[in-house]
Amino acid sequence: MKSESENAASEEPAHELQSIDFPSPDSIEHSRLMGAHMPTAGGLKLSLISGKKIGCTAIQLFTGSPRQWSHPPLKESDIRAFHEARAETGIEFTVAHDSYLINLAAPAADVLERSRDAFRGELDRAEVLAIPWVVTHMGAHLDQGEDEAIQRLIDSLKLILEETDTLGYSSGVALETTAGQGTGLGWRFEQIGRVLDGVGPHPRLGVCLDTCHIFVAGYDIRDEASYAATWAEFDKHIGIDKLKVIHANDAKKTLGSRVDRHEHIGEGEIGRDAFARLVTDPKLLHIPIILETPDSETMHEVNLQRLKRLASGGAMGVQISVQCFGHYTDVYGSDAREIRIQSGWTLTDLVKKLESEYASMSDLAARCRFAVNEEYSKLDTILQEGDVVAVIPPMSGG
Amino acid sequence: MSEVRIVSEQLDVLKICASVSDSMNGAICTFIGQTRNNARSREVAYLEYNAYVPMAEKQLKIISDEAEKRWGCSVVIHHRLGRVDPGEASVIVAVGSPHRGDGFEACRFCIDTLKKDVPIWKKETCPDGSFWIEGDEAINAD
Repeated sequence: MKSESENAASEEPAHELQSIDFPSPDSIEHSRLMGAHMPTAGGLKLSLISGKKIGCTAIQLFTGSPRQWSHPPLKESDIRAFHEARAETGIEFTVAHDSYLINLAAPAADVLERSRDAFRGELDRAEVLAIPWVVTHMGAHLDQGEDEAIQRLIDSLKLILEETDTLGYSSGVALETTAGQGTGLGWRFEQIGRVLDGVGPHPRLGVCLDTCHIFVAGYDIRDEASYAATWAEFDKHIGIDKLKVIHANDAKKTLGSRVDRHEHIGEGEIGRDAFARLVTDPKLLHIPIILETPDSETMHEVNLQRLKRLASGGAMGVQISVQCFGHYTDVYGSDAREIRIQSGWTLTDLVKKLESEYASMSDLAARCRFAVNEEYSKLDTILQEGDVVAVIPPMSGG
Repeated sequence: MSEVRIVSEQLDVLKICASVSDSMNGAICTFIGQTRNNARSREVAYLEYNAYVPMAEKQLKIISDEAEKRWGCSVVIHHRLGRVDPGEASVIVAVGSPHRGDGFEACRFCIDTLKKDVPIWKKETCPDGSFWIEGDEAINAD
């Protein structure tokens, strides 16, 4: 992900909004914990306050500078302010992202030691801030042997989890799926599985899935079949029960490119439909979702709205318009109405919906014909985005 | 080439006949649907025609093209929309053909199919209320 300083220094022109269909905001789903990585410049509590302003119910933050090894201990006043802001904003879920310098699999002994120290600091800060998870990348083997690197990572995690067990910590470690850039570990689900197995079951060890990372690492999620196959792989090697947080990012680069560039939701290589599926997937409804998309100041709010709309629209929702004729116009009105239906619905499904919603329209199937896009259509016709449906009672022209 | 129109103004039967009166043709058959001043033993003050216009135009075109193909004739169909008073024409089908047999058959096919397939509905306004006419049913309008 991009650091805050990079975001702030970005000289790219303001993002131009693209025309992509996101469902109407009429009935936004609020129960899902969703939010974005929020800046902490000016105080940790500002991540909560600015998050609340744009509609977050979950946020991610850096508890220290992501480009520094060591941090002075947090001030009591900052800790208190963070807790107060959490209570005031009602933001239910917080997650910390660790420093980019940390490599818990580092081959060089000194780097490994500094990484472990820095990560202890990450957990210390998370603990006092009551942040349940610290997301960390799995480090890099730097061409010094992947197996050895994975073993070092296992050793690091075991060591730190044991130490913090002794201290009675609640904050845990969430290993993030990575993009597979360079010699980075954690881009294959098998690698993460090996680390989890190596450490052994631990309630404070989980996983964070990043949609952009897994996609550029080669895991397709763009259509129903590939989405299901990727989650089956995840479950096989890692286990859905290990998943603690999802980073929702579209990808600028293609499937399998192993190049990590985040894109606005629906505007990248992954596309809107995958996110619609993700935010309505019944097995994931309890998992908080965090955005790490670009142009955070202006676009986090937009991207969050997009996720919320997709969540409220149902998986792969389809927008159609429906117009009625004859005496049905007395109840329904003579204008076409926009209706959002589930993907895969046929005319029969739509007719049942209309029949149940309007008492005086309970006889549609028995006496009407139906047109889709101005052509008579059979009841098993599957409705598509943008279809214009007409309810045509027996006619009386002439 | 057939021509179909759905219009709000009064229909001009002579003009419509003229549009199929090619000198190659030996016959012009017309059907004129006229608004009655009574229905189901009730007095009818006037009718009001509603249509799903874009689809009705498409359906009329499908019907007239089919008739032209089957009977080797030229077909024009005009249908009224909105208020139509008793005695006024609500629909005119005009068929120009070399011989009368094909003309009669094509004309009948057009009006029969129109009544069945073209999304147009009439609403009768009677002294004691108004009714949607849907096939054989008359449904009380609000």
